[in-house]
Formats: sequence, C-alpha cells, structure tokens
Amino acid sequence: MNLAKEAMDWLDRRLGVSDLIHSNMGGYLLPRNINIWYTLGAVLMAMFGLQFLTGIVLLVYYVPHTEKAFASVTMIMNEVPYGWLLRYLHVVGSNLIMVFLLLHLLSVLFMGSYKRPRELTWLSGFGLLNLGFAFCLTGYLLPWSQLSFWATTVATDAAGAIPVVGDYLVAFLRGGPSVGEATLGRFFALHVMGLPMAFLGLVGFHLFCVRRIGISSPPFGEDYQPTALTQHFHHEEHPGGVPFHPNYTIKDLSMVFFALAALVAITFYAPWLFIPLDALDPADPFTTPEHIKPEWYFLWAYQTLKIFPSELLGLASQGAAMGFLAILPFLDRSPERRPGKRPIFVALYLLGILLFVGLSIWGHYS
Amino acid sequence: MKILHSLYGLIVLILFSLLLTGSLAVAAEETVCIQCHGGLDGHLGEPVAQWRTSVHAANGISCHDCHGGDPTDFEMAMSPERGFIGVPEYAGVPDFCGRCHVGVKEDYLASAHGQALEVGGPNCVTCHENHAIQLASIDLINENTCSMCHDYERAARVKNEISSTEASLTKLEASVAALHRVGIDTQRLKEELFASRNAFRRLFHTVNIEKIKSQTAQFDQDLSETKATISDYENRLGQRKLIGGVFVALLVLGGIVALLIRRTYQNKE
Repeated sequence: MNLAKEAMDWLDRRLGVSDLIHSNMGGYLLPRNINIWYTLGAVLMAMFGLQFLTGIVLLVYYVPHTEKAFASVTMIMNEVPYGWLLRYLHVVGSNLIMVFLLLHLLSVLFMGSYKRPRELTWLSGFGLLNLGFAFCLTGYLLPWSQLSFWATTVATDAAGAIPVVGDYLVAFLRGGPSVGEATLGRFFALHVMGLPMAFLGLVGFHLFCVRRIGISSPPFGEDYQPTALTQHFHHEEHPGGVPFHPNYTIKDLSMVFFALAALVAITFYAPWLFIPLDALDPADPFTTPEHIKPEWYFLWAYQTLKIFPSELLGLASQGAAMGFLAILPFLDRSPERRPGKRPIFVALYLLGILLFVGLSIWGHYS
Repeated sequence: MKILHSLYGLIVLILFSLLLTGSLAVAAEETVCIQCHGGLDGHLGEPVAQWRTSVHAANGISCHDCHGGDPTDFEMAMSPERGFIGVPEYAGVPDFCGRCHVGVKEDYLASAHGQALEVGGPNCVTCHENHAIQLASIDLINENTCSMCHDYERAARVKNEISSTEASLTKLEASVAALHRVGIDTQRLKEELFASRNAFRRLFHTVNIEKIKSQTAQFDQDLSETKATISDYENRLGQRKLIGGVFVALLVLGGIVALLIRRTYQNKE
C-alpha cells in the first residue's frame, strides 16, 4: 500500500482528518457570487509568510547594536549570497502588505462585512492593521541609518505631547533620554518577537472568527437580501454555494501569484521606491538631515499633526479617527449592507479616502 | 473587557503618536555667529546668506571652522583667546584655506599664481569666491575670470588638457552615486575617486601645462581600473534585472494559468 495513504489512514482513524479536511475544504461552501476582494486575506497571509521567512534569514546576519547594525545591513546587501534579495523582498514586502491591508479594510467597509455579527472579526482585523503599522515602525529603526535614527527621534518625541505621562512615555519608549542602544534593543525585541507573537495570536483569532461565523455574502445582485439578525449564535451557511477547495483556493492562488509578481518586479526593478536617500547613510546623532519624511502610509498622520495648532490636538484627532474606525460595527447597527442603499455611508467612505489621499500628497510635498 | 479595549486604544494612540511621523526636520542648532550676523545688514550680514548657499554649508563647515572663535558664547565668540582669527590679509588667504586644503595649497604656492601672490597675483577667492563657495568645477576656468589678470590662451590650454579626465571623473562619480542608490557598498570606490579627484585638482593648480600633460595619462590609467570595477557592478545589476524579469513572467504566467483553471470550475458550477 502507498505509504502516504497508509499514514493518512492512520491519522484519519485517530483524529478524523478526512472529515476535518472535507468540512473545511471541499465541503466548505462559499457564496456563489463571491468576488476577487475576498482573495486579499490569502494574499496577505502569503505576504506575511514571506516576511517571516525573509525576516528569519535576515536575523542570522543582522546585529542589533548601534555600532554594528548599519554595517551588518551593508554586509547583508553586499556580501551575503542573495542578501540583497532577501532584504529588498522584506522592505518592499512590508510596503505592499500595507497596500493590501488598506485595500482589505476598504473592501470590508464598502461591502459592510464588518457589521453584526462580525464585530470581533472586524476588531481583530483592525488590530492586525495596527500591528502592521507597528511592524513597520519598529523595523524602520533597525538598519540604524540617518533616516532610522531621526525618524524615530521625531516620532518618539511626539509622544511627549500627551499630557501628564508624555515625558515618561518618551523615556519609556526610548529607554533613556534620547534614541540610542536601549531604543534599538527595545524595537528589535518587539519587531522579531513581541509583535510576531501578537500577530500569530490575533491572526489565529481572526481566521477562527471568519470560519466560525461563516463568510459574508457580497451585498450585490438581485438575489441578495440582508441577513436577519438573531439573538443566538448563527453560522452563516451558503447552500448551493461553490466549494472553498479547489474552486476558490485556485482563485486565491492566482491572486497570490499576481501579488508576488508585483513584489518581485519592484524588488528587482525599483526597490529605491521605498528607500529614501537618508536611509543609505549610517546614523549620525550630531548631523540632522534636512528633511525627514515618514513612509507613505504615515504621511496622512504626519500632515494632520502639522495642520493642528498644537501637537496634542493633532494626536487627539488621529486617536479619535482610529477609535471611530475601531468601534464602527457598534455604531453602525443597521443590517443593510448594499452600498446603493447606504448613500450617507458611501459618501463618507469616499470622503475618507479622498482625505487620506489628499493629506498624504500634501504631507509628501509640504 | 472594557479595560482591555481602553488599554488597546491607548496603545494605538501611543503607536500613532510615534508614527506621527518623522518630519519636522529638527532644525540644526545655529551658532552664535549665525544668530548675530544673520540679523545684520550690509557686509556684516551678507556672508551668512552667501554661506547658506555654499558647499561648505552643505557639508557642515560653519563660520568658526574657518574664522575660529567660540560658536557657543556670544561674549567670547570673537575673542582671540578662543582662537578667533577674523578676516585674513589678502596674501594670507592661501594659508587660511590651506589649513584644510593642504595639497592644493602646496601646488598652488609652487605655481605661477602662487609665486605672484605677493605682487597681487590671484589667491583662492579670486576664482572660488569666499562665503558663496560652490563645488569646484572645470567651468571655474573661463575667459571672464582668467582675463581679469592675463590672456586666456594659456588657461584655455590647461582647460583643454584636463577636460577629458575631468569629464571621466564626473561621470564615474555619477555612476558610483547610482550604484550607492541601489544599495551597493561604494565606500571604497568613493574613497578611490575622492583621492583621484584631490590629486587631480592639485595637479592643475600647478598651471604647468607640461606637468599636467605628462601626469594626466597616469590619472586616466588609474581611472580605467575604477571604471572596470563600476562596469562589473553595472553588469551584475543588469543580470539581476534579467533574472527578475524571468521570475516576474513566471509568476504572471502562474497567475494566468490558475485563473484559467478557475474558469474550468466555473463552467461546471
């Protein structure tokens, strides 16, 4: 008998693996009108997976010490076989992850998939978005370049605007009065251990919510009707739907291929898109670069801080915006998900996108 | 649960306060020289505005680096006790600049220009200006400037002799900058070019056409080795792009094949 089949049968007799696979793959039915936006989850999983892989290899060569960090990154780029490829995949990958996270957020908002009973799915997803920001922020410091040093100096300094605890917070974040060895140690530990562990826990919970509650139907087409809300737990079934595997996994796979093609294209042809000039020089605490701008996904926040007369007001407005997004499913309680029947929401949604893009462009050129 | 959410909210706020970006370019600390002279009119204030446009300012060379004094103390800023030199005499300018530009000073002083210094021959600022000094280029040798003192013909011959090597140096510097931009460690190449550039500048400050002619060939030989190293890097980058193109094509093809397979399922659905 085939050894693989025998091993499978052995597992099946003990854990019911066949049944588990069937109920989560071929027997797991998705809505017939499921669209391309639903593949973003799989794309993000693949991209994060690649970040873990490249990150682990980079970890072999990177030295988290202010005297050696920049030199170790230079060595990775120039001496380690394919080190440049690993690092660029990691840097470009982090930026593409932010693109896909934002697209995922926008598609979920547009299709109203955040609504009851999926509040926990939304909250965990929103948490993952913020973890993505935190990954980027902590990773930014690690090369110990001029950009790393000064961007972190300014960013941690902003925490000082918070009343009462501001100064303590700045000292806590930096591990001292200024950005230095202690800061690098903290950010490194967070980037390679703290955040990945939080990420794995949260992504597990997010997937559990998606599977447990059932995937939401796209709110389009004549057949769509809002789901009636119940007081009890209800798993949304899609009788007559398409099997998750192979019918939808192959679509996931195609989108993963296209996303990886974009990643590889930028990595090989334009990695400098995400690496400003100041990132090419080692950190020098005694020479302040002329202009330090944040990464594109923080430009909106940067410009918001500049618009308000006080830094505290700027921080508060950002906190309010993020807080509003976090609790949106608890505020927007109508079961209606069809965009055409939610004109006010769609208008606000478009205004929000325009505001994000406008502030980012303004921040870039300011 | 509420506490957890509040805590989470605080963390988000903290993170965002951090993210809140890095700009706000921290203004460079200005010396007392700049603070005081920057607010003055006329010849006492003009040098500050001129200096801001200079190659010295771009490289962090400030007033006190040349003029001495204490840049942190208003009262003692111009005290000789703190090393204040002030404005040098005309004939003292080469020594003044030569504290940093040692090699160029040596060759200049040995040249016809340097020999004529005591009788009003050109010093450093005649060609380079003082506070608005720019990155030196071959264009500093021009009819307007040279004709102030003598016929342009000899200067034109010097310019002609050095122009090819000068153009090579400029081109190689641009190539090294492009390699640096894509993450290549160009430290050694930069140092080599910097040394060549300095040595070459020393050479043409002699304004000795025969010497320039005889040594320019050696410079070209040295630069050809640097050029070969740069070409090697550029070839490797070209190969990377080729391999990258193949990977991109394969991934796009994979995506298309997966979509076609999906279509076969759709037909059965």
